[in-house]
Amino acid sequence: MPYFGSEEMVKELKRALSNPNVQADRLRYKNYITKVIRYMTQGLDVSALFMDMVKASATVDIVQKKLVYLYMCTYASDKPDLALLAINTLRKDCADPNPMVRGLALRNMCNFRMPGMTEYIEQPIVAGLRDKASYVRRVAVLGCAKMHSLQPNTEIDGTIVNELYALLRDPDPVVVVNCLCALEEILKDEGGVVINKPIAHHLLNRMKDLDSWAQSEVLTFLLRYHPRGDDELFDILSLLDAFLQSAHAHVAVATLRLFLHLASAHPAVQADALLRTSAPLLATCGAASRELRFAGLCHVQQVMRSQPGLFGMHYKRFFCGYSEPSYIKFRKMEILVELVNDENVALVLEELRSYCTDVSPELAQAAIAAIGRIARTYSEKCLDILTGLLALKQDHITSAVIQTFRDLVWFCPQSTAAVCQTVEACVDSPQDSEGKQALLWLLGEHGDQISSAPYVMEGYIDGLKTELSSAVKMELLTASVKMFLCRPAETQDMLGRLLHYCIAEEESDVCVRDRALLYYRLLQRGVEETRKVVTGPKSDPSMSVLTGRQEEPIRQWASTFNTLSPLAGRDLCPQTAVVSAADQPSSSAEKELLPESTDVTLSSPDDTEEEISLSLGPPLSHETFEKMWLDLEVLHRQTLGFPRPRTAPDTLQAALQLVKIQTLAFTPGDTVPWKAYIYTRSTGTLILAELLQAPGSDESLVVSVKQQPVNQHAIRVFVSILKSVLQTPNADSS
Amino acid sequence: MIHSLFLINNAGDLFLEKHWKSVVSRSVCDYFFEAREKAVEPDNVPPVIRTPHHYLINIYREKIFFVSVIQTEVPPLFVIEFLHRVAETFQDYFGECSETTIKDNMVIVYELLEEMLDNGFPLATESNILKELIRPPTILRSMVNTITGSSNVGDTLPTGQLSTIPWRRAGVKYTNNEAYFDVVEEIDAILDKSGTTVFAEIQGVIDACVKLSGMPDLTLSFMNPRLLDDVSFHPCVRYKRWESERVISFIPPDGNFQLMSYHISAQNLVAIPIYVKQNISFFETGPSGRLDITVGPKQTMGKTVECLVVTVHMPKVVLSASLNATQGTYNYDPVTKILVWDIGKLNPQKLPNLKGSLSLQSGAPKPEENPSLNIDLKIQQLAISGLKVNRLDMYGEKYKPFKGVKYVTKAGKFQVRT
Repeated sequence: MPYFGSEEMVKELKRALSNPNVQADRLRYKNYITKVIRYMTQGLDVSALFMDMVKASATVDIVQKKLVYLYMCTYASDKPDLALLAINTLRKDCADPNPMVRGLALRNMCNFRMPGMTEYIEQPIVAGLRDKASYVRRVAVLGCAKMHSLQPNTEIDGTIVNELYALLRDPDPVVVVNCLCALEEILKDEGGVVINKPIAHHLLNRMKDLDSWAQSEVLTFLLRYHPRGDDELFDILSLLDAFLQSAHAHVAVATLRLFLHLASAHPAVQADALLRTSAPLLATCGAASRELRFAGLCHVQQVMRSQPGLFGMHYKRFFCGYSEPSYIKFRKMEILVELVNDENVALVLEELRSYCTDVSPELAQAAIAAIGRIARTYSEKCLDILTGLLALKQDHITSAVIQTFRDLVWFCPQSTAAVCQTVEACVDSPQDSEGKQALLWLLGEHGDQISSAPYVMEGYIDGLKTELSSAVKMELLTASVKMFLCRPAETQDMLGRLLHYCIAEEESDVCVRDRALLYYRLLQRGVEETRKVVTGPKSDPSMSVLTGRQEEPIRQWASTFNTLSPLAGRDLCPQTAVVSAADQPSSSAEKELLPESTDVTLSSPDDTEEEISLSLGPPLSHETFEKMWLDLEVLHRQTLGFPRPRTAPDTLQAALQLVKIQTLAFTPGDTVPWKAYIYTRSTGTLILAELLQAPGSDESLVVSVKQQPVNQHAIRVFVSILKSVLQTPNADSS
Repeated sequence: MIHSLFLINNAGDLFLEKHWKSVVSRSVCDYFFEAREKAVEPDNVPPVIRTPHHYLINIYREKIFFVSVIQTEVPPLFVIEFLHRVAETFQDYFGECSETTIKDNMVIVYELLEEMLDNGFPLATESNILKELIRPPTILRSMVNTITGSSNVGDTLPTGQLSTIPWRRAGVKYTNNEAYFDVVEEIDAILDKSGTTVFAEIQGVIDACVKLSGMPDLTLSFMNPRLLDDVSFHPCVRYKRWESERVISFIPPDGNFQLMSYHISAQNLVAIPIYVKQNISFFETGPSGRLDITVGPKQTMGKTVECLVVTVHMPKVVLSASLNATQGTYNYDPVTKILVWDIGKLNPQKLPNLKGSLSLQSGAPKPEENPSLNIDLKIQQLAISGLKVNRLDMYGEKYKPFKGVKYVTKAGKFQVRT
């Protein structure tokens, strides 16, 4: 019971440690010290024993020394005045004839994290850098980095930096790598350690002496080096060639990253490197450790973005084992979906079919969604399987299948008839709100092909009082209105009841009431007017290009290869992972045409290349905007190639707001030249833009973009979003 | 690189922490606990967890979570492999890597962690070198230590560190010079209901135990090296010679090490040593089901299958099992829902069979999913891929070593679907 009566315990230990009889008996003394350490590691505060422990450090027994050092490092920052006493002992140990003791003392002295240490440790560190034992040099090199972190704001000591650069030529490989790491930390503000030609080639020649950890680190540092010409480049690549197939996955992957980076101008070399690394990557996917397997799968996924064919014949390696953790199964399913081709489709589907009945509902749903993805290419076979799954009458399966149907109809309109037939025949309805929404969407959108649709919907309207989810209610409203437009006779009565309930009776959710009011007023304007607003395209107009997945260029992902972001970047939730292209087909036509702008906030600075989103942030005042507009330079100017949208200013403003672009000012109506000022934020940058329609012949819009700080990638994203927004109302009116 | 390490047991108790840079508060583990709760099963905790200021990379081994705290961008495979190395080192030192042994050897654990990393960078991870810095505890040594008061720490620094061959220390001397090689192959396979192979591959390793004096230079050749296309070697192996002559030429490290690992995935080369006939069914009416499993030999190359164990993960609704085994013993754990049938040696004349009824929770619906069977087995004196060592030659030293090769085949992830 270490947490109770701890004061007693400390007192007792103190008494024992200061007892001369105990001190005389080495074994008993050491036992007490071990006890102190044990309490310390259990989280008990034994800092009161500091003085006694300092005394115990004056011993020849290395284990006892180590224990006392451990104790001192833990409590030094709490008791700085007492710790100074210990420093003398430590400095004496730094001159011990035994290199082990020297190294140990130096390392621990550097680990004292308290202000004012620098003056005591500087001299032993400098002496340690020239020690003849490599063990001490290793410690001293890292000590330089620790010393710097003790007082991060002081000027960098030039002599130490030079000494460290000189030690890069040390015969001991660990000293070399430690030097790199220490320099990197010390010179962090100046952009880290400089890798010039002699250093790069020296490191490359030492590669085979290093252990695997050091190899991996050196390979990461070499990413900074830019070879002067192709000859040098190929020299480097041939030196590194053997490491592509290293026994250690992390070395192989780090080498591959360096290859991709260095050979960015030589696609054939990149392709060859990918091919050669595919074997170690696949081996990692089958490693004994599940974490390694997971990391391997994530890397395979990245490689597949450019080279989908590379793993095609190994698709069986991605079949899930029964006892594998779910995060691996999710990844494997995503990979399987990508690997499907005419030859293996039957086997892969059979395999995915068996996952649909998994005990974990999330996995089952992910498997069903995966089949849905394959259905976009091989609809017939998949629809058979999905229909078969409905017969199982399991709530979560039914719900997932209905959701998959909805997405399928949206992306792949040719399967509509078959889906409608199945939905018609399906007797039980989903119980969870996502499933209900999906079913209602299908009923509303394709009510003309599902003869029983009004009766199913009537059931929902009658059960409205017990429905808790407002999202379902909203979907029900939209679906009923759509249904009314195509089958008015059967729907009129229940739509009336529904609207009455939502507007007049006890509907507490404001959103639902407002939506109902909106439809009510719309219907008052007449059926034709309503039809124009409510009905949109029945399938995704933009996605048809995307169904066959395109090969991305390698540079799209090479910068994040072998980093943390692909492993941690996404949520493990299966829904977002599998159906990422367009989450929910929404009901209003306007929204459907707008590109998805996700609200992902990025916490890691390294994945900016990956996903950039716009966000609103705090509003800018007119004065600030004006000032910034005058201060900044135009970074990007582009003729958009179409005239300004002929919509009312507030419609345009609302549309821009939807994609997180804020409007500052418009010129009114048809004045010429027409101008608009807009701004938005994205991953730490502020983007300002001007839209100008000059009274010219082609009447095309010109956009000028200013930005602070500069991020070209964000500008590209911004312009593409802006273009699609502005074109939307144009497309509508034409 | 690696800022701190926390060890957390299955129950969520944090029982060891080590910081290599400034102290990171334990509260950072709250993000881990959150993920742990969300994952339900400890197996399902995602290996990389993102928190506002850190990344947590964790591995789960022997019912312990090794949670590392990372502050800067790192290669994830590097950290994961390193954590496994830490766990392996504990295992190497204490015989097993469990919470009890770690707590019992707290002092050595701290010594090891201190030597393995400094300022967050790997320092000494080779077991050869570590063992010279910190001697592993043995019963004999701890007795001697208690009597004489001497310690587990080597007083001298490892000598071999500056030699041109970093993995071998200089001046090794043995009275009996011997070199043993174990060819261990594991079959990973998934068989479907009818017994056809859905997927099969062999993961093989050659473990070596080399106790030779001086600086021996060894060459190992195979009868059929063409079998091996996907191989990776210990750094001591000369890769160029393997590429040109298909022989393994190397100066071995002293003691135990893994010489190479290989991988055979061509399915026609993977023999499946046993077949399983099974029938597990649940009745529509009444809370019961039937189970009938028979195991027989298939392609065993004339060797006996030993240590045969069949493990079945039953659906949650199965309450108990009343079965009859013609050979071996069975045990059904109603808490974890795992049925283990320990058969032992497989007798081809009299095939072992397990038969009987299962009782289900009354009122619960009939389970949708059929459980799958995991098989464990061992075949001595056989590498199932047919790999055979031809000869081992030694150059550079005068004495005659004693040489030995052993083969063993095991089941890895071997699964039969029902």
